[in-house]
Amino acid sequence: MNTIKEILDEHLQYKEQIIKLAKSDLVKTYRGAALGWSWAIIKPLITLFVFWFAFSVGLRSGKPVEGYPFFLWLEAGFLPWFFMQEMITGGAGCIRKYSHLVTKMKFPVSIIPTYVNLSHLFIHLIILGITFVLFAAFGHAPDIYALQIPLYMFMMLVFFIVWSLFAGMLSALSKDFQNLVTALSSAIFWMSGIIYNVDDIPSRWVRILLKFNPVTVIATGYRRVFIYKKWFWTDKVSLVCFAITLTVAILGALWAYRKLRKEIPDVL
Amino acid sequence: MENEVVVRFDNVTKLYKLYKSSRARFKGLFSKKVPYKENRAVKNLSFEVRRGESVALFGRNGAGKSTILKMVTGVTFPTEGEVYVNGKVSALLELSAGFDIESTGRENISFKCSLMSMNEEEIKAVEGDIIKFADIGDYIDQPLRSYSSGMKARLGFAINVNAQPDILIVDEALSVGDKAFQKKCKDKVAEIMADEDVTLLFVTHSLTTAQDFCSRGIVLEKGTKLFDGPIEEAIEFYEAKN
Repeated sequence: MNTIKEILDEHLQYKEQIIKLAKSDLVKTYRGAALGWSWAIIKPLITLFVFWFAFSVGLRSGKPVEGYPFFLWLEAGFLPWFFMQEMITGGAGCIRKYSHLVTKMKFPVSIIPTYVNLSHLFIHLIILGITFVLFAAFGHAPDIYALQIPLYMFMMLVFFIVWSLFAGMLSALSKDFQNLVTALSSAIFWMSGIIYNVDDIPSRWVRILLKFNPVTVIATGYRRVFIYKKWFWTDKVSLVCFAITLTVAILGALWAYRKLRKEIPDVL
Repeated sequence: MENEVVVRFDNVTKLYKLYKSSRARFKGLFSKKVPYKENRAVKNLSFEVRRGESVALFGRNGAGKSTILKMVTGVTFPTEGEVYVNGKVSALLELSAGFDIESTGRENISFKCSLMSMNEEEIKAVEGDIIKFADIGDYIDQPLRSYSSGMKARLGFAINVNAQPDILIVDEALSVGDKAFQKKCKDKVAEIMADEDVTLLFVTHSLTTAQDFCSRGIVLEKGTKLFDGPIEEAIEFYEAKN
């Protein structure tokens, strides 16, 4: 309980600095490159182009889903995946990345995951805008289901802030853990519903098991907005599974923070 | 009447756990059986510093001085016991700590001050003084990666001394830059100390500088306190030991 209070207090006390640090994190990642942070958008655009080329021009495989070209179906799931992919590994490295603040001055360590996630969320918002334009260009203007986007985005943000605190703390202690996360990230990708629809799997238990992967819940959620046109409350299993995973992640993060907060500055 | 206590160490012990490898350290997180060596940097240390006091810490390398200062600044934490600090601490320890080399000097001033919990108004108020003191000319609007190490240190020093600290921590930092800037630094510290409400913790090997600034001295050896008293007696004690 005290740990939760300590973390929330730090966030309240440094709320202005969190915004400042998020901005400088964004600028820092891309400054120095001639095109600056437009790289953050060019990268996903290239991926998108590759999808379009591969599935609509090259392979010509992948059946349209609910009347949407297959590559649009892919994009709807990849949109949150771009963020999640960055945060799985970036979250694990976030405290190491800012070790110069942790070891040299009094610094509220618990806010690092928050501002690193916020800085990536900004890029996510831009890609979201591009996705809306793309869907509109193919004759699918945003509709009432788009109102669910803030909910799924919030779920994603909260989960990955918690994840980054947990993984960032452990990775600060041991580089092995960071390598483990990098190695597992492709497993997380293939074991989630990003390139196939989890609900099409025949076995009910496999379906439920995959929903304990928050990546599945979020990616499917974005697809329900863009493709399937369904409300979030029609899939209660996903919400319950997500809540359970989030609770476990919170407990893990609190444990890691309590155990390591005082040791991290000496180790890094 | 005596002033209130601003720094108090209560039976403080600082233990660094030395594992064989980072893998062993990771295992140590889950099991107490993993072997490690202990380095007691500070042992059962207790002392109090009151508002307005200026205290010098003496001791050879490894006496625990840096660890003590780091605990006062809140960078590192005691393993046992309690460290109590009341007031805004400004440390002339790692002068370029917290700098972002991709940002300009001006951005770094605002960033560092905001991390010291100053608001926009307070930052605006001291920005001019900082820039004037650092005296690095047009470089102030250039990114820090184009600075020389001396310029970075000067900017760091300027920020820390102008941030209106309650407790000032100085660790040999008065030897920054050229002779003229060193003198400017010494004068500035003296000026800050003229304010009776500012407390100074000072680590140096130069006994004369210590005598200039401090009225009380603490002698340390291997993490324990050997002597605590008026500066002249502390220096005598320290010299007799060596």
